[in-house]
Amino acid sequence: MRKAAKRTKRFLRRFWRGLREWCGDAAYESYLRSPGARCGSCRLLSRAEFYVEQLNRRYSRPNRCC
Amino acid sequence: MKRVLSILVWLVVAVVGAGALGAIAIHRGEPLNAMWFVIAALCCYLVAFRLYSAFVAAKVLALDDTRATPAERHDDGRDFVPTNKWVLFGHHFAAIAGPGPLVGPTLAAQFGYLPGTLWLIAGAAFGGCVQDFVILFCSIRRDGKSLGQMAREEVSKRGGIIAQLAVLAIIIILLGVIALVVVNALRASPWATFTISMTLPIALLLGVYLRFLRPGRVVEASVIGFALVLFAVFAGRWVAEAPSWSHVFTLSGVPLALALIVYGYIASVLPVWLLLAPRDYLISFIKAGAIFSLAAGILLVRPQVLMPPLTRFIDGTGPVFAGKIFPFCFITIACGAISGFHSLISSGTTPKMILREGQARFIGYGAMMLESFVGIMAMVAACAMTPGVYFAINSPAGIVGHTAEAAAATINGWGYPLDAQTMTHLARDVGEQTLLNRTGGAPSLAVGMAQIFSSTIGGGRLLGIWYHFAIMFEALFVLTVLDAGTRVGRFMIHEMGGRIWKPLARTSWLPAVLLCSAVIVGAWGYFLYQGVIDPLGGINSLWPLFGISNQLLAAVALVVATTILMKMGRLRWIWVTMIPMAALIIITMTASYQKIFSPNPRIGFLSGANELAAEISSGAVAAARVAETHRLMFNLRLDAAVTSVLALMILLLIIEAVVQWYGILSRREALLHESPYVRTRWAKDFSGAGRDLVVGEAIGDD
Repeated sequence: MRKAAKRTKRFLRRFWRGLREWCGDAAYESYLRSPGARCGSCRLLSRAEFYVEQLNRRYSRPNRCC
Repeated sequence: MKRVLSILVWLVVAVVGAGALGAIAIHRGEPLNAMWFVIAALCCYLVAFRLYSAFVAAKVLALDDTRATPAERHDDGRDFVPTNKWVLFGHHFAAIAGPGPLVGPTLAAQFGYLPGTLWLIAGAAFGGCVQDFVILFCSIRRDGKSLGQMAREEVSKRGGIIAQLAVLAIIIILLGVIALVVVNALRASPWATFTISMTLPIALLLGVYLRFLRPGRVVEASVIGFALVLFAVFAGRWVAEAPSWSHVFTLSGVPLALALIVYGYIASVLPVWLLLAPRDYLISFIKAGAIFSLAAGILLVRPQVLMPPLTRFIDGTGPVFAGKIFPFCFITIACGAISGFHSLISSGTTPKMILREGQARFIGYGAMMLESFVGIMAMVAACAMTPGVYFAINSPAGIVGHTAEAAAATINGWGYPLDAQTMTHLARDVGEQTLLNRTGGAPSLAVGMAQIFSSTIGGGRLLGIWYHFAIMFEALFVLTVLDAGTRVGRFMIHEMGGRIWKPLARTSWLPAVLLCSAVIVGAWGYFLYQGVIDPLGGINSLWPLFGISNQLLAAVALVVATTILMKMGRLRWIWVTMIPMAALIIITMTASYQKIFSPNPRIGFLSGANELAAEISSGAVAAARVAETHRLMFNLRLDAAVTSVLALMILLLIIEAVVQWYGILSRREALLHESPYVRTRWAKDFSGAGRDLVVGEAIGDD
């Protein structure tokens, strides 16, 4: 029983993580972890700056099909 | 032992699939249960994925998991983001699945369920999935380069220009035709118009929330947005029932078209965070929910498919659109079988996020299979309603008349029983003033979805709510493509305009933004307007044009893929991309020829224009309508010119490619523009969850 609860909890945690990654909720955390954000010469973007920059980039190329 | 068991299981899947496919192909007489379609499609997809995609992955492309992908080599947390394969599958599917696989099969149901179903399954397995998969692979090997860049480098400069023009052409025609689908869905429907109008303030609210209050908190904003949109769906009924408000939101085609054009312009000009992105977030969860609910509904309800396998309209006289099965079924169903637009996604974001080459098979081939399955569900939903009702909703007034009685008489004459009262009752049950002549596919799909949903939850009482939920879902779906597509088109105009006058290339310079937005919106807005004023409903002329342009882009993608395979020395397997490419060229050229030159005025643009000219000269057109008729003639000739340009682009591309192929074959060596091989630092089972983990420490949860 405890094993099943543990498995369910793990599944839900992974599902939640996947959902956040899928919809872009976790994009900033992902950016903070990336080597691009940690390079010495780069200025680290704030959450709001990153959000706007990411949207501008995403909607400047085909990202939705017919 | 394990291997024998595996072979046995796959043998059973293949036999069951073949049996189900055989059943729907040869069944005649009594209605068939929708489960046969689901089983046939699923088994065929499973076998195609297990065998054909594995063959393409291993023999044709020779995917290499030891090779670092662009996401690993350029990991910057912005463009290049290593992503778990399931998450990326969801991303890729959400990007490729638009309204096309829902609308196309619904329109093609006029031929009966069989041609569209077979094309959806076979077209996807041997064409669409292969195209998406191979282009994704090619882009991964080239640091995530776009289709245009690959065409320029691997085929020729002119090939690149043709690809770029094809992309612009498809964007303009696509936006015009899908906007027409929304106009026809909202026409004279205060409930639906109110609901969709409300999504604008909701999106603005979410935009401000996500920008200033809780930056980037997409999940919570989506939940708030979803609740508000659901409320708008319910509130729409109150608006429709209040005469004073109902009057405000009851709009005809032209005002709706103008409203959409203004919306497209504003969405293109405003900062992306304010309107465009939050609208996209609004639909993300609704889209996934509605598609899975439709699948669950079909499995639970198991509706009878009432449409015959083949209708009398295979002879080309169909009321929804004119033309025979070949080539028009293959043009009408593009997304869901093979869609060139997918190649832009496969060479866009996805290759920059993939962890390993080996995952390209699951994401490229697999996501397209899922989209094809969405097309099958749309076909089932359309064919589950009585054929008489289907034709009454999807036929323009110019063919079946304006009244329920006239429509019933015409459709009964075709051999599909329809009682005039049925249409009146159905319209009342779904909360609409009328369901007659609602061309474009969206209303009939909404009726089909509402009937399936209401059989699961709520019964007849909730039919109206489900219908308007489905309309809201379809319209939001389309509007998301419309505003995002307008913005992308605007950027392309910036790029092209910048070659003529440099300041035009500046995407943040306001005069350039206003001008380029006006150009792109004006272009698709004109197609929308001509569709709205077309007495045959617009879909008859515009949807085939969209199909031709989409298949043209698919041909471009397959030409690029074939050239790359040749350069890689995979001549033995060249047929994998060459056969679908040849099929598409034959289909597109035949359709183009018929749309331009067919003597049937309902098919041929030129003969249609000539017929109108003859009517004017014989005095059959009232003086008040002469100017309007001249405009219709101009539109038909414009459509003929656009089709000619598209066909010419295919011919030029073929010539360009053949010259290139001759060079490759005669020299036996060719310059391949692949990124150099770099060995991956990540373990084979890296999940993307912890970027810092290296080989041996990775989490193996994929």
